[in-house]
Amino acid sequence: MSLAARDVTKRFGGLTALSRVSLDVMPGEVHGLIGPNGSGKTTLLNLLSGYYRPDEGAIQMAQQDLSSATVQQRANLGIARTFQKPRLLPTLSVLDNAMIGGWRDARAGFLATAFMLPRASFDERELRNRAEEFLHGVGLSHAISRRANLLEHAEQRFLEIARALTQRPQFMLLDEPAGGLTPAEIEYLGGVIRVIAESGVGVLLVEHHTDFVFRISDRVTTLDVGAVIKHGTPDQVKRDPEVVRVYLGA
Amino acid sequence: MKVSHRSWAVAAVIAVLFTLPWWSGDLYKVHLAALICTYWVLISGLNLVVGYSGQLSIGHVGLLAIGAYSFAILAGTHGMHPAVAIAASGALCALCGLLLGLPSLRLPGFYFAMATLAFALIVTEITLAQGNLTGGGVGLPVPGFPPPFDTPRGSYWLILAIASVVTWLTWNVARHTWGRGLVAVRDSVVTAQAVGVPVFRAKLTVFVFSGFTAGIAGALFAVLQSYITPDTFVFDLGLFFFVCIIIGGRGHILGPAIGTIVLTALPEMVAPLAKLGNFFYGLLLLVVVLLVPEGIGRVFQLLLERFRPRRGESHVVKPDLERLSRAIHAGRAIK
Amino acid sequence: MLVALITGLATGALYAAAALTYNVMFSTSKVLSVTTGHITMLGGIFGAWFIATLGWPIPIALLGSIVVGAAFGLLTDWIAIRRVLARSDEHLWLLSTLALATMVQQAAGLWWGTEPKPFPRLIPQDFSAGLADQKYWLPVAIAILLAIALELFYRRTLYGKLFVAMSEDAFAARARGIPTGRIRSMSYVIAGAMGGLAGFAAGQLTFAYFALGLTLTLNGFIALAVGGLGSNVGALVGGAALGILSAVATYFVGGEYQQTISVGLLMIVLLLKPAGLFGKQSVRPV
Repeated sequence: MSLAARDVTKRFGGLTALSRVSLDVMPGEVHGLIGPNGSGKTTLLNLLSGYYRPDEGAIQMAQQDLSSATVQQRANLGIARTFQKPRLLPTLSVLDNAMIGGWRDARAGFLATAFMLPRASFDERELRNRAEEFLHGVGLSHAISRRANLLEHAEQRFLEIARALTQRPQFMLLDEPAGGLTPAEIEYLGGVIRVIAESGVGVLLVEHHTDFVFRISDRVTTLDVGAVIKHGTPDQVKRDPEVVRVYLGA
Repeated sequence: MKVSHRSWAVAAVIAVLFTLPWWSGDLYKVHLAALICTYWVLISGLNLVVGYSGQLSIGHVGLLAIGAYSFAILAGTHGMHPAVAIAASGALCALCGLLLGLPSLRLPGFYFAMATLAFALIVTEITLAQGNLTGGGVGLPVPGFPPPFDTPRGSYWLILAIASVVTWLTWNVARHTWGRGLVAVRDSVVTAQAVGVPVFRAKLTVFVFSGFTAGIAGALFAVLQSYITPDTFVFDLGLFFFVCIIIGGRGHILGPAIGTIVLTALPEMVAPLAKLGNFFYGLLLLVVVLLVPEGIGRVFQLLLERFRPRRGESHVVKPDLERLSRAIHAGRAIK
Repeated sequence: MLVALITGLATGALYAAAALTYNVMFSTSKVLSVTTGHITMLGGIFGAWFIATLGWPIPIALLGSIVVGAAFGLLTDWIAIRRVLARSDEHLWLLSTLALATMVQQAAGLWWGTEPKPFPRLIPQDFSAGLADQKYWLPVAIAILLAIALELFYRRTLYGKLFVAMSEDAFAARARGIPTGRIRSMSYVIAGAMGGLAGFAAGQLTFAYFALGLTLTLNGFIALAVGGLGSNVGALVGGAALGILSAVATYFVGGEYQQTISVGLLMIVLLLKPAGLFGKQSVRPV
């Protein structure tokens, strides 16, 4: 029941960004992905979420091959993600931004919505309640009706997580969610991510804050120049001499 | 605005609009009001395309023309009942919207705008060339509505009713998931994809819908004009529709509605503006784009916020993990 | 038939010149300006005004048209591009250039009148010159001249090379200390001058007509898209193809379907080769 990349290779022109990389995310775990800049972390995340297609190898979810599935198809199958630079809808409120995650659950089509068939208002009420709960949960109670372009950086990051949660995903792919956060905020983020995983969602955490990753991950994979150099528990990876040499320093 | 306040406001507005023939003075103003409502039928549909999904269609006048001519031909030349002819015009234009949208909605912004411009010019060419069908340069007479809608007041009320229904439809779309999805298509395609919005299909759906409303508007417009020629549908008119939306504010319904009323009525009331014609619309568009790109609707929103009591603005994020856990479990319970 | 071909070639040259101006403005700003056709329109109208109404000698009037074009190019940059590029909304420049183009076209119509007025003879020549009439050859000569001048400019001069650098990677150019804002303004001035010159040269073909702006914006764009965005050779080829095809089709089918046919050509080319005949796939217009 995992989301996995199996022996994927990805090239851009003459450059090989990933070379025979395998990684899997189990439901209910936090899987950290670390490595120096240019090691291929974001490429792997984009392969899993559908923005790139692998040149070799496959992306699978619960044994189903997803390699040629579009981003939208993967969203509908339960894969949600956040972005390195938060992508929000600036003219809409925080609540509306979270509610956009409910697209996949909307059962009323265009005409049903236009004619306000009961299904449409029911969907809307349900979605609003759900999104509000997630916003309270991640800590944005104070900003629910605020316009999204008035948010500070940390609020934007947490809003992206609330939006991803509204998608009711099976897997969440987080792209450097701690970037730009204060230590206190990173603590809060860690708590949120652990709760998400403990509720049964599989989380892939791409991050540069290695202490943070080691603290909250169940497993960690380290990439360097497009290949896996170590995979294991946080303790195993932290002590690995190759990882220390290439990334962590003395 | 609380729901009960909003309902009263809407009821008040409808009452004012319905009684317009009695308080406005002369029949000319009634005709003008009918024209504004007709434009609004097209513009409210176009609003979903331009204001919500961000596709800059400047040539929708072509669809207006197709709607007008199909009504004139069906109801006039072929004697179809006007109600059926109006519906048929709407359907035909929805089809044209589909045919136009399929190839052009995949194109980047400028290319798409040019495609719609070319479409408007092509429609003019064809109406001029196909003389035996459209009367060529001479044009076609247009039959009126059947009684009781054949008086200025009657036609105004009919058009007002149709405009109200169309407004209700677009308002419903705008404030539900579809509306948010369209805004995502406009402001962040990456976000739209990430949450599962079928970007091309969404754009095409509202474009076809806007074709339908343009067709209906075209039929109503033709009746109001009572005689149509290719010159009636100059590109400038398409630009006017587009400007009403941009000036009124993208992502709003009320803003473009007010924009339509003001921009139609203003040249009628202020004679020197009528002479300036398109220059005035161009200038307004430029001023809005440079100073208040979100439109005049946003200006009112900002002014309103000034008068609302401002609580201390907190920016501190403090998660409630219990609540979060419960919410996720509730979500996972849904099938 | 030969007349149709020659007319088509001349009109096509005008479209090609418009496509060249699109390219110059796009290279430094990644903007396709709706005002492109209007620059040429102004060149024609002012040329006629300078010579016929003000009685200026032709070389001075030519200079005047070029200056008017350059000034309008600069105006486009100042008003419609400069403030707008800083904002994140990609569509704003389309709106601002559309607004400016509308204003200019209307103003021209109000000042000059809405009827096409004849453009004076530039080189002493008999009106019975037939196919050798300058109204055909001037636009063609100017289009080719402009394309050659652009190539020399890009390859041989420092500023030309800065243009090329900016068009390939504006961010990197700025990081290297290149004053991208000033370069962009310069490119708009050059594009404006080109358009003014083209309008002046083609005046006898198109007449001095205020409505030329929008049709030239559209047809110049079709020539650009057919030939490939970013390619000057493509601009020439696209323009010639468009002009000749329209004229030949008019000859056989009648002039009523000109726009339909030109758009048809565009659709066919885009279906077969979306980047245009000479376009580079990497050049992504917004």
